[in-house]
Amino acid sequence: MTNGHPTRDEDFDLLALGALDGEEKQALEAHVASCADCARKLAQARGRVALLALGAPQKAPSPAVKQRLMAQIRGAASEPPAPAHASGSRVPLPSSATRWWNAMLLVGGVALAALTIFLWHENRDLARQVGALHASLVQQQHAMHEASEVAELVTSQGTVTVPLAQQPGAPAGAAHVMYNKKMGMLMYEGEIQPAPASKSYQLWVVPENGKPISAGVFNPVEGRPDHWMMKLPEGVDAKSFAVTLEPAGGMPHPTGPTILAGSIS
Amino acid sequence: MGAEVRATDAALIERVVQRDEAALAALYDRYASMLSSVLNRILRDTQATEEILQDIFFQLWSRPSRFDESRGSLPGWLLVIARNRAISRLRRHNPAAGDEISENFVALPVNFESTVARKQMLDRVKGALENLPREQRACVELAYFEGLTHSEIAARTGDPLGTVKTRLRLAVETLKRTLHSAAT
Repeated sequence: MTNGHPTRDEDFDLLALGALDGEEKQALEAHVASCADCARKLAQARGRVALLALGAPQKAPSPAVKQRLMAQIRGAASEPPAPAHASGSRVPLPSSATRWWNAMLLVGGVALAALTIFLWHENRDLARQVGALHASLVQQQHAMHEASEVAELVTSQGTVTVPLAQQPGAPAGAAHVMYNKKMGMLMYEGEIQPAPASKSYQLWVVPENGKPISAGVFNPVEGRPDHWMMKLPEGVDAKSFAVTLEPAGGMPHPTGPTILAGSIS
Repeated sequence: MGAEVRATDAALIERVVQRDEAALAALYDRYASMLSSVLNRILRDTQATEEILQDIFFQLWSRPSRFDESRGSLPGWLLVIARNRAISRLRRHNPAAGDEISENFVALPVNFESTVARKQMLDRVKGALENLPREQRACVELAYFEGLTHSEIAARTGDPLGTVKTRLRLAVETLKRTLHSAAT
């Protein structure tokens, strides 16, 4: 590597592919974390490598996955398809001594059908309950995981709260970042006026050494605060935080005016 | 339905943020098959594939803010997440394996919102992989679909580490050239 930059661009593809080992991998990852140019090249390499997925034999998921997904987001299991009912065929009545046996078979058949329908209903109800419980469990697990991350960040001794002050001439807004160097975690909470058309806000972590690192692009909705957590790349030691106004979708490095800013004291 | 098909990913994500179920369904219809294919190729397990597929879209619904345009394109991000999850699942059965690759900024060289563009790129990638020398293609497949590093590929195939590195580098150079010309 020259000045930390890889000598060959293919190294980014090999890193994105996950092929690099040991020191080779660590050195390139550490460099990319502090070099916006190389971070952009790695992003492009990740895109190229992601395309390799298209080399997999095509296999569509079963329609049940979408049904379960939609049921899950509604918090309830989907209705199973209606059961097939009687075919409508008629059994001719016997006219001799076999009539008694046929009558008995008919009674037995009706009883069996009734039992089958009963069991089918029971099974359907149980499946519905299991589906609803599973969906609820997954939701609770996600919520618990998120809550535990927040709790850990908020209660950890090393966490600092950095208020982000509105900059002169910037749209009205206020926010703060909770940052824990040891955990490498930050949480942004804030409320800013919606961005103008074709623009987005972007949060930046300004490290002690190196260039600003993007920590999220967002488009606030009037009256709805934004908040999210993220893990910073390993080895990043944040010095300050800033929100800038950028073209919609954000930029690899800050280009627009600073809206909010704050430093770790 | 037509409006959903024509909507951009960004517009659909915005509607997901507004809790619009139809928007999530449209994104699922657009990308589930692509994700299912790669998950199934890595895991070779339909049930595990479907669990992860459902969970990826459920997370997109639960926390759409996890995706933002600073990560590049939605399908690129979804593909990276799907591969990472599948390889993590594989490696849970292999205690010697390493850590999960972190997902981050992903810039796809093509716009995947159009079915036609997806199909064209699919043909291009398949062609590019098929045209690689057999040994190079095997190395790429072991790295991408099984998550193996240079040294793990060498251990698996019995080839010298230097040979594996050369094969992968040549393969990556060829794929880069081919996919670059496809995108321009």
